[in-house]
Amino acid sequence: MNPVFPSSEWLNSLCQKLNEDNKYAAIASKWEGDICVVIEPSGIIQDTIIYYLDLWHGKCRRAAILKSVDEEKAAFILSASYDNIARIMQGKLDPMQAMLTRKLIVKGNMAVMMRNVPTVLDFVRCVRDITNEIL
Amino acid sequence: MQAILKIDLSTRQSESYIIPEQWVIDYIGGSALGARILFDHLTKELDPYSSNSPLLFLCGPLTGTLGPAVGRFVVCGKSPATGLWAESNCGGFWGPELRFSGFDGLLITGISEFPLFISIINGKVEFHHAEDLWGLDTYEIQLKIKERIDQPKAKVLGIGPAGENKVVFAGIFCDHGRTAGRTGLGAVMGSKRLKAIAVQGSGKLPLAQPEVYNNIRSESNRFLRKDLVTQVAHDLGTASVADYSNYLGIMPKKYYSQGIFEGSENISGSLISEKILVGTKACHGCVIACGRVVDIGDGKRRKGPEYETLVSFGPNLLNSDVNSIVKFNELCDMYGLDTISTGNVIGLAYKMFADGSINQSDTGGFELEWGNLSTLENLIHLIAYRVGIGDIMADGAKKFAKTFGEEEAAVQVNGLEVPYHDPRGASGMALVYATSPRGACHNKSDYFMVDWGQTDESIGINYFSRQDGAEKAANVSRHQNYRSIFDALVLCLFSNIPIVMIANLVNTATGYEYTPEELILSGERAWNLKRCINIRLGLDKSNDKLPKAFLEPLPDGGSAGYMIPFEEMMDAYYSAREWDKETGIPTENKLKNLGLKDLVKEFI
Repeated sequence: MNPVFPSSEWLNSLCQKLNEDNKYAAIASKWEGDICVVIEPSGIIQDTIIYYLDLWHGKCRRAAILKSVDEEKAAFILSASYDNIARIMQGKLDPMQAMLTRKLIVKGNMAVMMRNVPTVLDFVRCVRDITNEIL
Repeated sequence: MQAILKIDLSTRQSESYIIPEQWVIDYIGGSALGARILFDHLTKELDPYSSNSPLLFLCGPLTGTLGPAVGRFVVCGKSPATGLWAESNCGGFWGPELRFSGFDGLLITGISEFPLFISIINGKVEFHHAEDLWGLDTYEIQLKIKERIDQPKAKVLGIGPAGENKVVFAGIFCDHGRTAGRTGLGAVMGSKRLKAIAVQGSGKLPLAQPEVYNNIRSESNRFLRKDLVTQVAHDLGTASVADYSNYLGIMPKKYYSQGIFEGSENISGSLISEKILVGTKACHGCVIACGRVVDIGDGKRRKGPEYETLVSFGPNLLNSDVNSIVKFNELCDMYGLDTISTGNVIGLAYKMFADGSINQSDTGGFELEWGNLSTLENLIHLIAYRVGIGDIMADGAKKFAKTFGEEEAAVQVNGLEVPYHDPRGASGMALVYATSPRGACHNKSDYFMVDWGQTDESIGINYFSRQDGAEKAANVSRHQNYRSIFDALVLCLFSNIPIVMIANLVNTATGYEYTPEELILSGERAWNLKRCINIRLGLDKSNDKLPKAFLEPLPDGGSAGYMIPFEEMMDAYYSAREWDKETGIPTENKLKNLGLKDLVKEFI
């Protein structure tokens, strides 16, 4: 039974999944950069949630919940409302569509991002794989 | 709207012409209004190179303002490549300057007895001998003409040797690399012995509510700056899409025949930005600045290739050397060649050589080996000057293939070479290519972006999987109608702002009161009018087709194995468009609803 999203258990479970998934390891083998996922309040979520993941060459080196994005100088910051994050995780919103329609805001080096869209998409696959229940 | 200047090159006379207001209300501007203006001129019998053949340069109501990516103009006429409706729009600074000089457009007919160029300085029209400029490239003429007329700030548009030699994919160029590249209107300009047009003005643009407009355009630009596409296009240029396009198997390789090419990752927008980018360039007033300035190691600042050129001379020809692509791009710009068609026809020749359809006796001794860069460069020269095999290639892919009995080998639709978005990876492009009013075109609807997820539910453009079939046909037609508004305004496709904002800009600029729905209806009207023009020019349902290459699956890559359900998609498309499934002609009811019934009686 996978933990409920959002929770620290869920975040740890994602980190573990990224470290054990062979497909992700292959696709993300050239990825170098930590990310902050900023989940903005909407629906049943009242406060901003910030997940930090240090991703390096197909592995997750560290996962943490932050109080502010300033705690880590992450290479990429991905922001979306809780509802849109939930829709992405449930497969109801395509991640590329979310980016192209301003439902998911990306900040960081665009050259790295565009070269690694497959990594981003496979990251989302891993997220979906470990998510059975969303608050 | 400001006047259109009618110019007869045979008599060297000009006169102002006011467009009937109802036409402006119905079609707004750009190529939509252009279609209405040229409706009576374009007949099946009209030779694109004849004296009567029109060449119409037209701006939109926002051109020259500081609105969001609005600095474009369009050129319209009858295409020597397709025999159909021709339009090609262009950025840079020429369009705004034309409006500053007091005109919203130029309608040029006639043929000059000698090579000439025209200057229009604050409304004053002069004709100048250009015998000494004939043969010069598109970069040289800009400098020389400014010097000749002693107007260093003038904006010059012109043709190179390719246009003079009537290469059917010759374009019209301005501002060192900004291009109205498609449909061969540079050849039409060459046939008129018109080398260039210089414009300069200091007039104020007519805006119905200037203060309100300025507030809205500031808000629009702020909105646009925050858009992901803006950020990516600014940072990486249009070639930003290369990596993802390659991954999905949308980027063509080896003349649309394979899905994987080992060197593809070397020629992306990302790589250009990291290795050779030294600056960016913007069109008039644009906050995006997608233009690239690069240095390939020789200290010279050159225009960097956009996506189409990058693929055209890159993976399409199995070339992974980005520096060579920069040079081929520059060569084509200087000669005045459209890079999409040039790379396409060269790819076709390489394929036919590999297949044994042509040999060294046909090519003048050249061995057309994939990736051979010196041969590639030679072919560009031969095409521009119509020498040897280049003379046949200069007539376009369709005629080249037909000359050697291999018409189906050409990846073209209705005589226009296909751009570099393979519909087997983004199936909406199948309908887009098959039904575009100017032949295979990725700009009448950049639906590959919708297939990636650039949707807008507020105007009914919804999400479908990139390899869905007939279920997305109505979505494609709505997107075409939507993009027709951009062609009318002449708005850059990267101006990714809500349609309500577009309507507010148009209304405060023109004084009319369009709702978003009325704008889209105007786009649909223009789409159907261009369809009717093409039917008059000889197009019928049998023209709505794809090249044979796209009806076979790719052997590998991100779209391997997928077969486009083309017939089903077309059936659904005709239904969505309310076009007769037997003839491909818009139904009487559709024409009536669009207010076109009286105009196009001949089709009812």
